[in-house]
Amino acid sequence: MATKTVRFEIKRQASPDAPAYWENFELEWRPGMNVVSAMMEIAANPVTADGRPTTPITYDSNCLEEICGSCAMRINGKAKMACSALVDNLEQPIRVEPLSKFPLVRDLQVDRSVLFENLMRVKAWVPVDGTYDLGSGPRVYPQQQEANYPLSNCISCTCCMEVCPQFNEGTNFVGAATIAQVKLFNNHPTGNVFKEDRLRALAGDGGVQECGFAQNCVEACPKQIPLTNAISDIARDVTIQKVKDFLRG
Amino acid sequence: MATAQHPSAPTLRPGVQPLRAGQGYTFLLRKLHSLLGIVPIGAFLLEHLLSNFEALKGPAAYGAQVKFLNSLPLVRVLEWTFIFLPILYHGLYGVYIWLRGKSNIVYYPWAGNWMYTAQRYTGLIAILYIGQHVLRQRFMGISLPENPGAAFAKVQHELANPWMLAVYIIAMIAICWHFSYGIWLFAAKWGITPGETARKRFGYACAVFGILIAVMGMASIWAFVGPNYKNTPDIVPLSLTLPTTHQPGLSV
Repeated sequence: MATKTVRFEIKRQASPDAPAYWENFELEWRPGMNVVSAMMEIAANPVTADGRPTTPITYDSNCLEEICGSCAMRINGKAKMACSALVDNLEQPIRVEPLSKFPLVRDLQVDRSVLFENLMRVKAWVPVDGTYDLGSGPRVYPQQQEANYPLSNCISCTCCMEVCPQFNEGTNFVGAATIAQVKLFNNHPTGNVFKEDRLRALAGDGGVQECGFAQNCVEACPKQIPLTNAISDIARDVTIQKVKDFLRG
Repeated sequence: MATAQHPSAPTLRPGVQPLRAGQGYTFLLRKLHSLLGIVPIGAFLLEHLLSNFEALKGPAAYGAQVKFLNSLPLVRVLEWTFIFLPILYHGLYGVYIWLRGKSNIVYYPWAGNWMYTAQRYTGLIAILYIGQHVLRQRFMGISLPENPGAAFAKVQHELANPWMLAVYIIAMIAICWHFSYGIWLFAAKWGITPGETARKRFGYACAVFGILIAVMGMASIWAFVGPNYKNTPDIVPLSLTLPTTHQPGLSV
């Protein structure tokens, strides 16, 4: 009896400047198989479908349960998390490519540090560091918690940026994830001390104004973060901030 | 743009660069582009569509409307400040926005992404159409500000060419589409409709509005090409068409 198999086409590239090429792999099907478990198998036993040994594939992954945000890649052309991409739901052969908007490191691994740079530039944190005990923070009411929880789910996978037509080297758009984090920290009773700084930062080149509202971000987000709502809210806040700054001189 | 880095920025890697926090003026340029699309350009479009609608009442009424518009105080200043220059800026900056975007409709054929793409194509149709329309109807041929009575015949001659008629019909649909989705985008991007439900409801409202103005536009085109006012004389005498119950003291 022939065993059921799963076919993969993986885009390989040895280094940022090396030429890219495709390699085919065939694995035995297992129940509940996902793309990242297949990547693990292929990396552990790097033999192509036609029996030729090759180099182990390189990819990012960590938690394997859609919480760490590491394993975002393009699967059958669409950016998604490899860990929650179930093989049974995908058309075969499953084409796996690295994200296209970030500098390539090797194979499926890309450098997504631009997101972390952006988060730093908008001060996406709550400032509580000090030389003495500041005591307990202000109370966050359950209603606020309810509103903020979806925003706090961001796993920094960068899917929203990958699928955004405005996120590219021409615009240097900051991307939906950072804008949503601005909303999260502006909503926080302690975090909002930086509210004006964050809004002013987002009015810079590549800021919230570059959004074209194609709404791909919210479609692609694996955590269902209300990204378009955040962009709309923050764009209004940025405009109001700029008008205030202009009038105050 | 990639060359103008913040002095304190570290040596940068290739790829999309980080936010230039608080620097540059694209915010102003982009917001101006967005605002101009509503006021004055959108407001002017509505005025134009309403004025065109007068054509359904015949050449004299249409000529009278042209005469009225040209009798507005400082009309040439109004024309340049609120029509020509805003459209020029909105059009050119719009093309610039398009060129900087990177469409991915092939991989992500989602509704919002289609509309994003459609907004760019309809905008391009609009700017090409408006270019020839202003040139041929405003600056070439008989001058309508001086001869408002010639307005109907001038448009009728233009639309007598079936190719031109097709251009007008396509442009009418494209522009009404661009404006009605533009209103929706404006509300979404300026934080007027920050909620999913609000955007959905407003989407229906904009769709109804868009269809309404497109139908109005089509009806006006029909007035010029339909059987009602065939072979309109080149210049309609407008003085004869003033209402006989004209009240003294109210004349312009």
